[in-house]
Parts: sequence; C-alpha cells; structure tokens
Amino acid sequence: MDHDVVRDGVAARRSIGVVPQEIALYEDLSARENLAYWGGAQGLRGAELRGHIQEVLDLVGLLDRAKEPIKQFSGGMKRRLNFASGIVHHPKVLLLDEPTVGVDPQSRVRLLELVREQARAGACVLYTTHYLEEAETLCDRLAIIDHGSIIAQGTLTELRAMLAERDLLLLTGIFQAEAVKSTLAGLDGVEVIHIDESQVSLSVSDASHRLPSIFAAIHSCGEVRGTTLKQPSLESLFIKLTGKELRE
Amino acid sequence: MRFLWISAVKDLRRLRREPVTLITWIAIPIFLAVILTLVFGPHNSRPTGKLLVADEDGGLGATTLVHALEQSPLSRMVSVEKVDRKEGRRRIESGAASALLIVPTGFTGAFLGNAPVELQLIRNPSQRILPDLIEETLGVLIDGAFYAIGRGAQQSQAQPLIQLKTNVVKQQSEQPSGFAAMLLPGTLFLAVFFVAGALAADVWRERTSGALRRIATTPAAFGAFLGGKLLAAALALGAVGFFGLLLGRLLLDLRIANLPLAVLWISISGSGLFLMVMLLQSAASSERVANMLTNLVLLPLTMLGGGFVPFDWMPQGMARIGRFTPNGWSVVQLQAILSGSAAPLAFGGAALFVAATWIACTRVIRRNIC
Repeated sequence: MDHDVVRDGVAARRSIGVVPQEIALYEDLSARENLAYWGGAQGLRGAELRGHIQEVLDLVGLLDRAKEPIKQFSGGMKRRLNFASGIVHHPKVLLLDEPTVGVDPQSRVRLLELVREQARAGACVLYTTHYLEEAETLCDRLAIIDHGSIIAQGTLTELRAMLAERDLLLLTGIFQAEAVKSTLAGLDGVEVIHIDESQVSLSVSDASHRLPSIFAAIHSCGEVRGTTLKQPSLESLFIKLTGKELRE
Repeated sequence: MRFLWISAVKDLRRLRREPVTLITWIAIPIFLAVILTLVFGPHNSRPTGKLLVADEDGGLGATTLVHALEQSPLSRMVSVEKVDRKEGRRRIESGAASALLIVPTGFTGAFLGNAPVELQLIRNPSQRILPDLIEETLGVLIDGAFYAIGRGAQQSQAQPLIQLKTNVVKQQSEQPSGFAAMLLPGTLFLAVFFVAGALAADVWRERTSGALRRIATTPAAFGAFLGGKLLAAALALGAVGFFGLLLGRLLLDLRIANLPLAVLWISISGSGLFLMVMLLQSAASSERVANMLTNLVLLPLTMLGGGFVPFDWMPQGMARIGRFTPNGWSVVQLQAILSGSAAPLAFGGAALFVAATWIACTRVIRRNIC
C-alpha cells in the first residue's frame, strides 16, 4: 500500500475497501446512486466514477437492475451491491466482514467467486467469517481468533498438521465427568479435549476403529446418546483449540 | 468540499423519494393554524391588549405610574409589560402591542420637583378601542397624580406639568389579519422542529445500517459528510418555510414584508435547530434513548417557543422565557422580518449558533457513533 495508516491515513484509506457485515447502503437510492455515493466518498469523479460503476455493476450481475431503488432487491442482491460498494474504487486491500451472512446458496457462490477474482486481480483480501469451510476454500493463510486473540495461524496445511491427522469425536449424553476422564486416559490414541456432564470431545487417531473400545470404556460411567465423528478440518481444529463449538 | 455536495445530493435524493413526508411537513403549520382558527374564530381579535412600558427613569414616580396602571380597571383588558425603548418600538411597529408608553429619564425628579415633564405614548394604528382606553386611563392617572400631590390648586389654570404626548407610529407592515396568521410564525417553527427531528434521526438509521462506520473507512472528511447533511437540511427547511409562508399568504392573508429574507431566516435558524436536535440524538446511547431525549427537550421548547400559543397570549413570565428559547427567538426574528423590521445581527447570531453546533456534532458523532 506504501502508506502509513497513522501518519498518512487519508491516502491509506484510499487504498482500502471495506465490506461490512451490515448492508451499509441507502435503501431508497438505486444501485447506481449508492455506488456513485460510495465511489464519491473514495474520491472518484466524473467519467472515471461512471466507468467504475458500470464495471462493478456488471461484475456483480446488477447492471440490468441499476436504476431500481435497492429496497426492492433480494437479500442476495443487496449483499452483492454491498460488496460492489467496497470495490468500486479498485482497492489494493479489501477487508470483508462476513460478506455471505444470510444469503442464498447461489449468491454465496457468486460472492465467493467475486472475492477470488479480487485476489487474482492483485488485491490483498482479509476475510472474516464464521463459515470455516469458506476460509478453507478461499484463503492462503488463516488465523483463528477466540475472544479477540489469535490462537492459531498459518496455511491450511500447517493448521491441519496441528491436528496430527486425528479425528474429532463428539459424544453427547449423560456422563460422570471425572470417571469418564480417568477411564479414557487408559486408552491409546485417545486425547480428551473437553468433558462435562452432557458432552465429551475427544481427539482420536483412526477413530472409526477405536469406537467400540471407547463405547465400552464409557459404558460403566455414562450413557452415550449421540455421536459425531469429524475428519480433520478447521472446525475440528477450532474445537480442539478452544474446547468449544463454533459460536457467534 | 466536493464530498459535501455529494453527501447533500444523496440526502436530497432520499428526501425526494418520500414526497408524502415532505408534503406533510409543509402542511403541518397551515393545518395547525387553520384548526386553531376554527376553534377560536376566523378573525378573532385578541382578548386583551398589551401596553408596553419603556421605563427609562426607573425611579419611584415611574414605578408608581406602572403600578397604578396595573391596578386600574384597564388591567382587565390590557396587560402591562416592561420593555426597553428599542424592543418596544420594534414590537409596536410590527403590530404586536396596543401602545408603547415611554417614561423619560428624570421623570420622578421632575414630578417631585414640580417641573414640567412629558410622557410619550405611541399608539398602534391598526387598533382603535384599546389604544383609546389606554390613553384615557393614562390621562386620568396623570390628572389624579397632579392633584393628589396638592399642587393643582395653585396651577389649575396653568398648563399641566405632566403632559402626555401621543404619537401614532407608522407600521412597516400591517398587523396580521387574523389569529391564524398571528400564530403561523410559531407553527412554522413547530414544523421546522418536526422536520429537524426527522432529519436528525437519520443519523441513527445510518449508524444502524453501518453507513457511518463505512464512511469512517473512506478518505472522505467526516465534517464534509455532516456538512452535506446540513446543506440538505437547510434546503429542505427553506422549502418548508417557503411553501408554509406562501400558503399562509394565500390562505390566511399573512402579511410578508420580505419573502426571500423570511425563507433565508427559516433555513438558517432551522439549520441551527436541526443541528441542536442532531447533537441530542448523537449524544444518546441508543436510538430509543435518543428519541426519548429529543421528545423530552422538544416538547417543552415548542410549547414555550410559541409553537401552539402566540407569545402575546402567554402569561408574561412564560412569554419572556419563551422568547429566549432557540425556537422562540427564531419566531420573534421571523415576526420582525415579516413586519419588515429585520435585525441583521440575528443572522450573524444564527450563523454562529450553526457553526458551534456543527463543530460539536462532528466531534460527538465521530466519538460516539463511528
């Protein structure tokens, strides 16, 4: 970017595009008027602004609806326009805060493709999401944040390595926590991540083969009512690192 | 500066997409004025007149005279209000009182020292009965005082020492012809408050939608963003003022000495009120608190500031306070402009108020909302 965000904030902000989680648009303005406003806020003028508006409207597939007030748009269309408003000035750095929240599957696919296009065009994209499969498919580098702190970061391969190719086994039911913990401690290849009276989370190598022995061990000190087996993924890494399911 | 214009155009476009709201805003003052006229009668004269007293003497004689006026049978029809000469002239010229009595410096000394002195009574030419009553009552009081101090015996054949000189001032504009027209300036500013409140509340919609935070991530200056909102508000308020006055002229026979100046005044002073409401809105911790706070402040201000009852109908104390409220002061200035006696300083004062509230708003919104 070549600009210090503190000493040269205005120039730095000119290089940044932000797509907030909220639909930060004016409902009673048309798509073109919204883009003209946000482009104007970025310092674009005249023919340059008109050219950029035309381009991004085409990019997000809203060219034929450009003159309609956006209150008539579907949620997915608004999300796409929200995205377009963040890239109308061709930013070098693009900050996306959960841009696919609440959109239909088609719009979601389209939005993810738009993000990839921005990255291919040379923009540095910082993508925040609770949908970890989106992060897995989109990002070159990932950081997992819990309670405002980064608890793990690296490439997808590096993060998967942290799981040591172990599966995540989630058991629900009624458990005597201490008894289950001491019973499972005696089993090879089983690591207890979290345990309470209603849920047990285990990191298990080759879980499908070890299930019978795990059930047999727990049988005397609890009742298993549900079982979920997860292959190594960002989600299982998140659970392993935080001991909790993903939350808002 | 360019973004200021972009921001203003954005708000004006949004406003244009809601024509019903705009029409409602313009119709509010006319609607209220017409309703009140129907209640009180189409050309109902005021139930009481007003005698303004400019006491430049400040001594015992003057105080006794004012007290005597207040105790006389005249007080049932005429209320007495002390003013300075300049304010008295302004109000009598705008037809807002029945008469102005000027008690000159040295009145008490001359009265007690048996020296000639002249009281000046300026009559409102558009009224007949009340100024006559005031003049006659004053004449009786002066004669009474003249004989009461026991000097009349020696000088009864001579020229009275206290003389009442009566002038009829030429009004720059005739008095409004009916109650509705008299009330209209106040109700116009009531509408201005409605519009200002609605426009200022928009800042919360922009905050909720994330637009404010997004603006903060752009190179656009926040002051320009707010300046654009101010410009849009000023134009909208000017439009409300223009159509309100025009309808007042057509429907209520409102006298307008200078329409462009009156519209400009409504626009500038209304902008100050808009920023004042926006400051309240911005300082609140939530939208609900903001609305409660706004209503809590605006309701008494509209009551006191002549929005529902003209100042001349209010008890003196309340009217005095009302004229010092931001909207009440704006109403007084508008009345002066409508009667052709505009005070240029008022525009300067309003511009200063706008500048101060704009700076405060920019800081508070940047700190609290972004």
